[in-house]
Amino acid sequence: MAATRARVSSFSRNVSTVTSQNHGLKHGPNGTMFISSGIPDLDKILGGGFSLGSLVMVMEDPEAPHHMLLLRNFMSQGLVQKQPLLYASASRDPKSFLGTLPSPASPKGDNKSSDLSHEKDLRIAWQYKKYFGEPQLNLNTNNVYYIAGGQHDYCNDFDLRKPLDRHFFSGNNVDCVSIKDSPNLTALQDCCAGFLAKFSRNEGSISSAGRIAIQSFCSPQCKYSNEEWHMLSFIRSLKGMARSSNAVIVVTFPPSLLPPSCSKRLQHMADTLLSVKAIPDEDKELAKLLTGYQDMIGLLNVHKVARLNTQVPVILEATTFSIKLQKRRFLVLECLNQAPVDGSSGSSYGTSGGCSGSTKAGPLDF
Amino acid sequence: MADSICRTLRDGALEGELAPTLTIKDSLASPFAFHVFSHILLQLSSHVIAQKSQSQGIVIVALSRSPSSYTSLLKMNGMDVASSNKWIHILDCYTDPLGWKDKARKSANVTDPSQQISLATSSYKTVKDVDKLFLVIAELGRGLVGENKARFCVAIDSLSELLRHASMQSVAGLLSNLRSHDQISSMFGLLHSDLHEERAVAVLEYMSSMVASVDPYHHSADGQKRCLESSLYDQNFTKGKFNVRFKRRNGRVRVTCEEFKVEPGGISFSPVSSVDGTVIAGIVPKVQFNLQLSEKERIDRSNVVLPFEHQGNGKPIQIYDGRRSLEESNSEANPISSGKKEDSAMGEIIYFRDSDDEMPDSDEDPDDDLDI
Repeated sequence: MAATRARVSSFSRNVSTVTSQNHGLKHGPNGTMFISSGIPDLDKILGGGFSLGSLVMVMEDPEAPHHMLLLRNFMSQGLVQKQPLLYASASRDPKSFLGTLPSPASPKGDNKSSDLSHEKDLRIAWQYKKYFGEPQLNLNTNNVYYIAGGQHDYCNDFDLRKPLDRHFFSGNNVDCVSIKDSPNLTALQDCCAGFLAKFSRNEGSISSAGRIAIQSFCSPQCKYSNEEWHMLSFIRSLKGMARSSNAVIVVTFPPSLLPPSCSKRLQHMADTLLSVKAIPDEDKELAKLLTGYQDMIGLLNVHKVARLNTQVPVILEATTFSIKLQKRRFLVLECLNQAPVDGSSGSSYGTSGGCSGSTKAGPLDF
Repeated sequence: MADSICRTLRDGALEGELAPTLTIKDSLASPFAFHVFSHILLQLSSHVIAQKSQSQGIVIVALSRSPSSYTSLLKMNGMDVASSNKWIHILDCYTDPLGWKDKARKSANVTDPSQQISLATSSYKTVKDVDKLFLVIAELGRGLVGENKARFCVAIDSLSELLRHASMQSVAGLLSNLRSHDQISSMFGLLHSDLHEERAVAVLEYMSSMVASVDPYHHSADGQKRCLESSLYDQNFTKGKFNVRFKRRNGRVRVTCEEFKVEPGGISFSPVSSVDGTVIAGIVPKVQFNLQLSEKERIDRSNVVLPFEHQGNGKPIQIYDGRRSLEESNSEANPISSGKKEDSAMGEIIYFRDSDDEMPDSDEDPDDDLDI
């Protein structure tokens, strides 16, 4: 949508001022706000995106780099919408990772299709032609915003083969921190505290939303990676700071390199918990079993979804999704579809065809 | 798959990416990782000599073997050792890894007989200082290939020895620094996986792009069994399985298995077809229902005998309609005569209808006759 419509109801506060200022935010149930994860399908799965003020943790696979796909889209989405970004990683030069961020896809095709659909509607209902004036104006507004360099969308489709323009991350919006050579996490904690102080929650309005991305937390080459309680204390304080600010923190960590108790504690501390998993290459049995195996690059599991201001949990229809690259450019998440069973074969144990429908958005409750 | 490994190490790193890294794991049950290491080292050396590889030199970090053993290894395989100084350099962390011989020599004033090693060798005597080790490796490599964009390969012949002297964080930092160095083309190292706890092995697997595992041919958990079956023991000591997990650039994992055989001349690999069925069971969520019947289920269902009356048992079906038929009267007559003759104590109730003309379940109302 071009802009989130303000909800006029006796149960919710009138927040029209927020809508006119921030285009990267979306209203959710129970007075929560969402920012986009950078992947349209992941936004649908999570019920709108990442909750503002939440801590998102992604469990890495030791053999697959898919957590970096999620992180890249998350960072690119923030930079495209001019939201400030703090990036921390265990490499010597974290700024070089910004050169690998993907660029948003050109929206020309979408505009053409929308124009065609509008023409069809006008033919069907010619007497309502006067009421379609506003959408055209909105389309013009979209074009104007696109020329200015920032598209006025909540979530973009990112072209993984096209790098992001340099002017997006060469400004003051991006801070990069290397956590490789520091003996402990105190410096990173100070950086995060200083970054999140700009987004403290005021009663009046949300001035801006911030994004923090920490890649490969507790990497084995970091000096603090043996100090479990120091890392847990850092994540705990980070979660507390995030809850009282208008920001989303995405942390990826390798659970197989940690002791099991430390790994479990980190998983329980997350508001939203995702994990990625590699699939075997050139596996004939898996190709028979799953539809679209050729385009799959991995699996995504949704373990926990953040639910703020409510006690009702989110129960997803499916928790395992396949990560695919559409036309080798766009990141797409799909429900796992079992391949149809050959009618002539007799054995049906374990290989029956079962297709699950598309995942609905989280239920709205008052 | 060993050829594929050598090919990957030969082609090296792409611009702006990490160097491909191979970790060769073995255990006490199959202690042949050094044979694989030597095989890969010789293959890579032949590629470097023929100038087919991205790397133009090899730096061997000798931790568990002496430099003279590498000299004899190269000689045994027909390589000219005199001209090897241009492309190979050995960093000797084996002879005096902690600098104790220097201290002993200073105190006792003993002249050490210098060995005749024809390969280019440098000593390194503070193995605990891993940051300095990284700088020395980079310096040696730069000496081999020059200051320009040329690259070199790094071979560490025992990560286990390195983990013995230094902590896991510093070894992981060393590997990370080496992988992200601009002039390093590829790396490979050797690891005895049963010497370390699982977390250390997981860390090294996490930091490698290829993990090769040398496994025994027949897995025998009991040592006593191995003594009894001497033929299996002999096979375990000369043969084995070579499992490789190859992390591809698109995020998938290629798992292959080969057989290897240790021969006096070296090691040889032969392909074995293996299907990894366990991986699928863990990845795919279980199916909740069946939409079709299998063939066995269909046959079993047709064989089930249902206890319904209308199916019968082959005899003609008789349904009592309330009317006495001829057969019934004949069958009823018999017990009367038999009863009279035998004069048995059992009694029978015999009911005779008043009129056969009367229809059963008549629709007539008996009260129609009343004259009310």
